[in-house]
Amino acid sequence: MDIEFSEEDLAFQQEVRSFIEENLPKGMDLWTKRGDWFKALREKGGWDVPKWPPEFGGPGFTPTQRYIFDMEMARHSTPPQLPFGVTMLAPILMAYGSKEQQDRFLPGIRDGSVNWCQGYSEPGAGSDLANLKTKAELTEDGKHYIVNGQKIWTTLAHIAHWIFCLTRTSSAGAKQEGITFLLFPMDSPGVEVRPIITLGGSHTVNEVYLTDVKVPVENRVGEEGKGWTYAKGLLAHERTGLAGIQNSVLALEKAKENAASIKVGDGTLLDVPAFRNKLGALEAELLALEFTELRTLASVAAGGSPGPESSILKLKGTEIQQRIQELNLEAAGVYAAVWGNKAAGPKFAKGAMSAYLGGRATTIYGGASEVQKDVISKNVLGLG
Amino acid sequence: MDLSYTEEQQMLRDSVQKFIEDNYDISERNKLTATDEGFSRDNWKQFAELGWLAMPFAEEDGGLGGSPVDTMILMEEFGKGLVVEPFFPTVVLAGSALSQFGSADQKAEVLAGIIDGSIIATFAYAEEGAHHNLDHVATTATKDGDFYTLSGTKSVVLNAASADRMLVSARTSGDVSDEAGITVFLVDAGADGISRDDYPTVDGLRASEVTLKDVKVPASAIVGKEGSGHDVLEAVSNRAILALAAESVGAMEKLYTDTIAYTKQRVQFDHPLSEFQVLKHRMTEMFMEHSLAKSLTMKATMLETQGSDETQRTIHALKYLIGKSSRFVGQNAVQLHGGMGMTEELRIAHYFKRLAIIDSQFGNTDHHLTRFVA
Ligand SMILES: Cc1cc2nc3c(=O)[nH]c(=O)nc-3n(C[C@H](O)[C@H](O)[C@H](O)COP(=O)(O)OP(=O)(O)OC[C@H]3O[C@@H](n4cnc5c(N)ncnc54)[C@H](O)[C@@H]3O)c2cc1C
Repeated sequence: MDIEFSEEDLAFQQEVRSFIEENLPKGMDLWTKRGDWFKALREKGGWDVPKWPPEFGGPGFTPTQRYIFDMEMARHSTPPQLPFGVTMLAPILMAYGSKEQQDRFLPGIRDGSVNWCQGYSEPGAGSDLANLKTKAELTEDGKHYIVNGQKIWTTLAHIAHWIFCLTRTSSAGAKQEGITFLLFPMDSPGVEVRPIITLGGSHTVNEVYLTDVKVPVENRVGEEGKGWTYAKGLLAHERTGLAGIQNSVLALEKAKENAASIKVGDGTLLDVPAFRNKLGALEAELLALEFTELRTLASVAAGGSPGPESSILKLKGTEIQQRIQELNLEAAGVYAAVWGNKAAGPKFAKGAMSAYLGGRATTIYGGASEVQKDVISKNVLGLG
Repeated sequence: MDLSYTEEQQMLRDSVQKFIEDNYDISERNKLTATDEGFSRDNWKQFAELGWLAMPFAEEDGGLGGSPVDTMILMEEFGKGLVVEPFFPTVVLAGSALSQFGSADQKAEVLAGIIDGSIIATFAYAEEGAHHNLDHVATTATKDGDFYTLSGTKSVVLNAASADRMLVSARTSGDVSDEAGITVFLVDAGADGISRDDYPTVDGLRASEVTLKDVKVPASAIVGKEGSGHDVLEAVSNRAILALAAESVGAMEKLYTDTIAYTKQRVQFDHPLSEFQVLKHRMTEMFMEHSLAKSLTMKATMLETQGSDETQRTIHALKYLIGKSSRFVGQNAVQLHGGMGMTEELRIAHYFKRLAIIDSQFGNTDHHLTRFVA
């Protein structure tokens, strides 16, 4: 056992840091010059798609390099990519898509010119995703699927160009059978997007109504009826990304700074024992979670599977995110209430409330916590 | 001992319940929050006609001689209805300050106006840098003959844009967070030198940052005695906490009952969610939190009514407990509704936000737990 990074890994860490130092646009440029940043990453040798394998243009990082890379990116608050294409769909296309599909879709995913949305959940199929009812029927000539049904909670459907969608092509057998994975443009006739306004008034999720949407068979990924298997692999990808551990490390630092800016008596909120202890407890748990991620990584690096402890990353990671959000809200004091286009009190106050409200969703999507615990107790602990 | 409501109190509760039923469908409520003032003047008139604005005030002041128990009944029902009319700033904050500390003239003029519905009032107490310490008052009041000149900025002043009168805590002597040397003034909300930055609050109400620049008020505007503002603030804060606790109890009841109803009809994995043991236990815990919060709210309210020595300590315990249980009940209501819990369409979202803000007012859980164990 050796807790230190190897010489090579340390050199790699230095390389990533220097790269960020040289290329990350500063201040306001971060918004206007995002394109330059992604271009630089790409030219560096596939750093724009760190998880992609080399045969698809990725950098071929070792698991430890991936970890270091993610950590440095998170700690320097580099601009995020929308996950739907790069992280969620691309691995599926690489594993199950045809060569034509890979050539057709991966470039647009990679350069961000085509936005994707994930059409899985339905009104009757949330935690019980396999219960989905959106129907896809093959036309007589066998050239098209005709899709009818409704998707819900579709994040960013209103700005997406394409959707990857789970549909039902057969209702024989178990619910998990007869699910087919289709891709189609959001401007296809019969696609209607209606906004859902969430806590705090933001619009990120939607209902997507599908009426006689015509999808060419060449837009089916893999075999008919095998969509569930493909999607399950994808959900695993989604989950590992949702723990947000490195972001939490950064967020906790920020929470400390926020608390240090709030005067209480002769000191600051950081000196108030009740608050300080909560920060400390979070830091301790986060240290443990970070190392849990490293253990996962180490077993993958050693050529094994991620190990049972990997299953707790999303559960614990999202819980920690939410508790950090609560602390920021508490630090905001009375200013937590200020809303609309006004701001008052400490600078972080309004962001603290938005984050708290939006953050409630992290224990609901990507496998709601209660259901995750069911899965772990069954698959990991062998409890029925 | 008698923990039952009197006949009058039951009638009061029934009349508020009826009003809420008739007027406070969540979509109606959301229409109100979208208006300029954020509430309905017509409803306010009805509050006056129904005697709710007179409820807690002494009969000799034109009130109905009710007790904090009556306010508790009103606020609990208001909590269930997510009522947005400025009852809390006007009657609970300004009203309890004036009724307990106001001069005869102040009562005759302002309390009478509050009672008949013609005056909306509020209390400007919070300041940047105070973080829940009501004695942190940087706003100054400088004496100049028979007048005082007020200068400073007050934060998150509820319904300031609609208010006719405003109570303002200001420092007449001492250091910025001294207990002594604070004086509370009754100020005309439209007085020269007052400017406002108005905004909606996340829970659908209205508030403002209020800046006072050389606002001149006569000595007769002092509520209570010069330098004794701490006592006024403490008394108002206690009544405020009791009222907010009752409101929270009402909101929590709706949150857990709505969650029970939702999980009974939402089917996943071929079963209603209500059949899953982990969710049954969670809802049982929500119910427990609500019951305990309700008990302590009743106890503290009755102690306050009797003027018991235990009141202060119990109120610290109460605000702590309310904050803790509200967070648990609110968060789990959202969680158990799944994606639906995240939508503005369901009323649970609005209870959830309201409860989050209540924790930030008049001291949060940490603030009061620290004082409770001190
Ligand atoms: C902000 C947001 C963005 C989203 N984005 C997308 C997207 O882009 N694409 C997409 O397809 N979907 C998306 N979703 C949907 C998300 O995947 C679902 O919300 C999630 O699967 C939960 O389903 P549900 O909302 O129907 O809740 P339900 O399944 O109805 O669950 C409600 C509650 O019951 C609990 N529960 C359910 N079953 C059990 C059980 N067997 N035992 C114990 N407890 C149980 C759950 O844990 C939860 O607390 C998004 C959701 C949100 C909130």
